[in-house]
Amino acid sequence: MTVVDDILAEKDFEKIRKETETNYREYLNPFALRMFKNAGLDVIEGRREGACVWDISGEKYIDCVTGAGIFNAGRHNREITDALKKALDVYDMGGWISIIRERGLLAKKLAQITPGNLKYSIFCCGGGEAVEVAIKLARGHTGKTEIICMENGYHGVTGFALPATGREVYKKPFAPLTPGYIHVPFNDLDAVKSAITKDTAAVLLEPVQGEGGIRPADDSYLAGLRKLCTENEILLIFDEVQTGFGRTGKMFCAEHSGVTPDIMVLAKSMSGGLYPISCAVFTEEISDFLYSHPFIIINSFGGTSLACLTALATIEYIEKNNLPERAVQMGKRFMEGLLALKKNFPELVVDVRGKGLMLGIEFPEDSIGPRMACLLKKNGVISIYTFNNPKIIRIMPSLVITEEEVDFVIDAFDKSLKEIRAQEAGRNMKGAGK
Amino acid sequence: MATSDEIMEALADFKEQCNGNKRLRRMQRDWTKVLHYAAVDTGDKFTMTVREGEILSNEKGAAGTPDVIIEGESETLCNMFWGDINPTQMYLKGEIKVKGTQEDIMRIDAITAIIWPEV
Repeated sequence: MTVVDDILAEKDFEKIRKETETNYREYLNPFALRMFKNAGLDVIEGRREGACVWDISGEKYIDCVTGAGIFNAGRHNREITDALKKALDVYDMGGWISIIRERGLLAKKLAQITPGNLKYSIFCCGGGEAVEVAIKLARGHTGKTEIICMENGYHGVTGFALPATGREVYKKPFAPLTPGYIHVPFNDLDAVKSAITKDTAAVLLEPVQGEGGIRPADDSYLAGLRKLCTENEILLIFDEVQTGFGRTGKMFCAEHSGVTPDIMVLAKSMSGGLYPISCAVFTEEISDFLYSHPFIIINSFGGTSLACLTALATIEYIEKNNLPERAVQMGKRFMEGLLALKKNFPELVVDVRGKGLMLGIEFPEDSIGPRMACLLKKNGVISIYTFNNPKIIRIMPSLVITEEEVDFVIDAFDKSLKEIRAQEAGRNMKGAGK
Repeated sequence: MATSDEIMEALADFKEQCNGNKRLRRMQRDWTKVLHYAAVDTGDKFTMTVREGEILSNEKGAAGTPDVIIEGESETLCNMFWGDINPTQMYLKGEIKVKGTQEDIMRIDAITAIIWPEV
């Protein structure tokens, strides 16, 4: 028996819970554990399949977080798992200072499926790292330094990416940060125009702000940005970490507007939640920078044989099962249900919005988002508010979610909103009786 | 129902515990805020001024411009400052309302987690 056999063989869920909570408290992050427990979100993931996750105790939940879009192809997708198993039987990761066949095959596939003239790829492990690559390419290619980013945008928390994230709370304890980042209001073309200087290298944004509260950019705004960037020789970077690989109803969100960025950042669902990989995909013109600096952007674990084969299997699964179209259909069903909730709970639901299966519900005050997350879990759904805006609960299930599961989620929202309404009514009565 | 003086007594104890805890002071050193507490059942209001993690003062009444407003029944507020209840759990039940940022709510919870880890 190996350590892994021992761990996987343990079935006493009370023992597992106690051990896991102790390890989190003693060796990981005690306050995060406290927050999870306070919010009733202390699910210890056991079985995972399709749109669902089971707590180690066997309690089933529909996962509407999916790690903010990691599991587009479903939790523990068996076809992709088998592909990874086959790859593991043949290869290790592969050396980063080596020529790797699978890396070239994945780069070619990405050139084929990404829009317009996006062609070359640099691979890394996480979304933040890929944003860093995009920023380095922008500065390296243009010889300019300033990056215009969006207020409430989220691009990760690593070195070059952290200053681009549009919220002070992530940045303040780590100052001084890399300089040269300017934040402007999202969906405001004039604000970008005003921020452009002779030193502007790129405009960086998410086509749908995820952590900012599921806020889609207007198509006309994206078209305006494209024109503005081209006219001023500025690169346009789309962070499609959350929106990529079918999430919004197209393989990439950029396709909705028909706007092609100069660099597209991809991660999350790229390899089905089974092996880490991310990348920046960019135009041939930008690749010129690499001729004189072929080894200036490197990563030991970026684009390994295993990651690339897993990503190829994931893309094949998404295409074969037409998951972008499924996101459209299930997104429509969700939206109908959510609009009905908005009608039935006008005092609690301010707005419902999104694209495909990247949806958000906005509440009138901050406290309702966390309270809803707590109640939804009680009603069989895992969801969480967006990090930069707690007024909004996100709905980002796997794209393999069924019609019955969509209806279950809507029903859970209905029950949870009724409970919030009852809590508020009780509180108002107490206030009135003072 | 808790009286205004009882809440002030609880606030004084809370201040002593916070300011006397070196670990907490280090953790909260970048937290400078004015907090208003409002007892919804009695109408009493209180102001707590925090600078770099140190509670400088607790006063009756709502003074200055608050960064955070916390509303709850007088008994709930009192219990919170005595460490008898977990403020985040009360918040998630809608028993206390917090007008402020999510980070401030977490800071308040962190204070109670350090002073009263068993709550």
